[in-house]
Amino acid sequence: MITYEMPLLLRLMTRPELVSTLKRTAGIIFDQGGIIRRLDSLGTKDLPYRISSHGAVHRRASQFIIEFVVPPSSIKILKDEFERDIDVVRSRIYKVEELTPVECTLHEEILPPAYRKDVQEMVELAKKKFKPKFKNNTGLSYYPFQK
Amino acid sequence: MSALMPAISKTGNILKSFMNLRASLQVARVRPFTSSIKENSSRYDDLKKESDPDMPLEDIKNPFEKEKIKCILCEHNIRVDYKNVRLLSQFVSRYTGRIYGRHITRLCKAQQERVEKEIWKAQQAGLMGGYTRDLAYANDPQLFNPDQPIRPHRF
Ligand SMILES: [Zn+2]
Repeated sequence: MITYEMPLLLRLMTRPELVSTLKRTAGIIFDQGGIIRRLDSLGTKDLPYRISSHGAVHRRASQFIIEFVVPPSSIKILKDEFERDIDVVRSRIYKVEELTPVECTLHEEILPPAYRKDVQEMVELAKKKFKPKFKNNTGLSYYPFQK
Repeated sequence: MSALMPAISKTGNILKSFMNLRASLQVARVRPFTSSIKENSSRYDDLKKESDPDMPLEDIKNPFEKEKIKCILCEHNIRVDYKNVRLLSQFVSRYTGRIYGRHITRLCKAQQERVEKEIWKAQQAGLMGGYTRDLAYANDPQLFNPDQPIRPHRF
């Protein structure tokens, strides 16, 4: 199974309401046969932009991040559930990507254009597209007749 | 050559001084591996012992090869993440919220792509603004100077 991460914005509520909403959210994940790995609270913060959901405009929200494991087939159901929940201002589900070490290629990219591999490929491609010009075979470097 | 030197009187001395002057001016032309001596001196010594010192060395790494430059994220081995809005905000204009291009940020292709992807994720999740930069992060130290791009701007 794949690990997913869900940033969850909840509307401003009293503490008991917030707890019940979180429990409900967790229950939806458990119902799909999922496991919650981590539940972080980022606190109640001002939103970077105002978000309207379920007929109300929100400028502040409680932010949570839930990391969970569910079968991929149930992601659609989860998305639908959280979208219809009126306490949820916004939720997204992102896959947790594995750490893959990246080899830095900056030293190749800052070379002058003629030495860059992608530019060389581009030049080759342009050469391929070049159409042969008609040859007059007059032995002259100029066109001898009136144009 | 040093044994021959006393025999040659005045002209020889002038020639010698001229050679010295030339050597000091053009170090590279006289001994192409001078800069590599510090790096692998033991190897150099070995080669010197077994071969004639006046002969050029063979099978030696290019001593003029430049050190490979790494971008700031690869250098410090930083993994950008959409939850780290403060880090992502540094790759965004504080006036317009636009993501700076590769010619300004000086990131490698893979890292720049990753930064853009994570910024998009954070914006979609409502953690980061699209046209603004959080006021708390407005005066963070600059990782690069947007006024000095490595290639000129389109605008
Ligand atoms: Zn890099």
